Amino acid sequence: MIRNSYASWLFSACAFVAQPASSTDVGTVRPFDRDSFTQIRSAYAHKPLVVHIWGLTCGPCLVELPKWGQMKKAHPDMNLVLIQADEGSVDAVKVAVEHAGLKGVESWSTRSELDEFERASIDASWVGDMPRTLLISADGVVTTIKGVVDQRVITRWLATHD
Amino acid sequence: MHTRSRQFLQLAQRAGFILSVMCPGLLAWAQADLPSAPMHQHARVDAGGCVGTELKCATAVTPAFDAHNNLWVAWVAGGAVSVARSTDLGRTFTAATIIGQYGESIDFGADAKPQLAIDAQGRAVMAYGVFKDKAYNAQIWIATSASIWEKDGPGFGVPRSLSSDPASQRFPVLSFTSTGRLFAAWLDKRTVARASKQGRAQAGAALAYAWSDDAGATFSGETIAEDNTCECCRLALAFDALRQPVIVFRAIYAEHERDPAVILLNSEGKPALLRRVAEDHWFIDGCPHHGPSVAVSADGALHAAWFTQGKARQGLFYARSENHRQQFSDAVPIGNVAQQPGRPSLLALGNHIWLAWKEFDGRHISIKEQYSNDAGRHWTNERIVAQTDHAADHPVLIAHDGAVFLSWATRDQGYRFIKLEAS
Repeated sequence: MIRNSYASWLFSACAFVAQPASSTDVGTVRPFDRDSFTQIRSAYAHKPLVVHIWGLTCGPCLVELPKWGQMKKAHPDMNLVLIQADEGSVDAVKVAVEHAGLKGVESWSTRSELDEFERASIDASWVGDMPRTLLISADGVVTTIKGVVDQRVITRWLATHD
Repeated sequence: MHTRSRQFLQLAQRAGFILSVMCPGLLAWAQADLPSAPMHQHARVDAGGCVGTELKCATAVTPAFDAHNNLWVAWVAGGAVSVARSTDLGRTFTAATIIGQYGESIDFGADAKPQLAIDAQGRAVMAYGVFKDKAYNAQIWIATSASIWEKDGPGFGVPRSLSSDPASQRFPVLSFTSTGRLFAAWLDKRTVARASKQGRAQAGAALAYAWSDDAGATFSGETIAEDNTCECCRLALAFDALRQPVIVFRAIYAEHERDPAVILLNSEGKPALLRRVAEDHWFIDGCPHHGPSVAVSADGALHAAWFTQGKARQGLFYARSENHRQQFSDAVPIGNVAQQPGRPSLLALGNHIWLAWKEFDGRHISIKEQYSNDAGRHWTNERIVAQTDHAADHPVLIAHDGAVFLSWATRDQGYRFIKLEAS
């Protein structure tokens, strides 16, 4: 659905004012577009990477997010990238991320709801259900987990992909 | 966008943001009930630059016809909920009337749409969700008009909460019965909140409903029809041959199996029958953001269409029930499963059934349609009704004067209102 409204307008304004262009920047929320996932993959090429996709209006996502904060705290070396996939202001995303104990983690957010084109840039078969987690090994093999993750799966994956 | 325009927008938006922080009440509940001006604006516009509250920037649109052949559309854009009227089947619209402005608080969930119902006397009701806290709990707002044909505009009053319950409520659907009663249903977290207080975990939400005998001025008999519904998928509402509400929704079975179900209310307005439409076994502890569609044909058959990623089947499916919803036919796949078919819209006109849906082939978003002239027993081949290469709303089918139309908001082509051919 088109979601290019007030919130995304605010997002654009905030992004323009506060967002540096560097792909290595962390601690801010960067606007996600059709090219962003390629940038993310490129930035973490040949490294194990966990990509967690969540949404502000997705109740299970909001319940789960603090568990990712705990996971990051327990595994500070984990390469973790967050993608917020609902419409919503950059400030709202920052609040939720920080509340979950994920401040400083590389975080992206769509300008509007992720449309078909943006979803396809991540996974051609993804129809928009959330949350979703991608475990990407150093050699590029992607394992997709749909729905809330059993964090023990992540722990095991990290143990074998560090 | 030109640099100067962008700078202006940034300044304007930053001013708006500061205003929203300093004066949230002012911004959130500002009521700009603008009179309809005689000037007209064209619905179709160039792509890009959509930052305002106009129809061209709409993210979710719902159409409705009144008894004087006017097409009305309700939409969300720029944080506002608006309506406008067209006397030429969507080619041009009157100036918009803003019902409420909510900024970032408007329900921007992927399956949320403002609702609009108009009865034969011109009484009109709008309903939509608004987030009320940082946990994204929502509230359903209702705005009513005693006559949408008022000379100075559609006459909607100040929006008010549908329910007094403090729990989160989203995804309203509403419709007038043929006798003028108004029925509303929505997803409600009150039983989940109660369970939480008692230390019990309860997934999802509940399906709630209420009736109004004064066209939405007041609602009575708020009832939880069913617990264990998906909390982030729209509801689908129709009336059966006995004028009783039929709701198809995404229920939660077992542990996080989010499959379609139907509920029927009896003549006392109480839940009378609950059936699983299909055993897809879509297990997901998460949000599909993808609700079903329902229609009832003149022969009494119920038609359902839904999306699933279940163990039993994946894609978009259709099924019908001829025996008063006791049983459904086998699920029939719809569209090209390789192209993400979804977002169904069913419509029945007598025993003629139309089904529209959305597909994405990697380059184009298409709205496809197929048609049955024997109450869903046989269908035409699918055909593409419209396409875009940019973001687009979910399709909605609507009937008027014996014809069926597709209502569709696109980013690059503006609002589309397209007559479907029954062939």
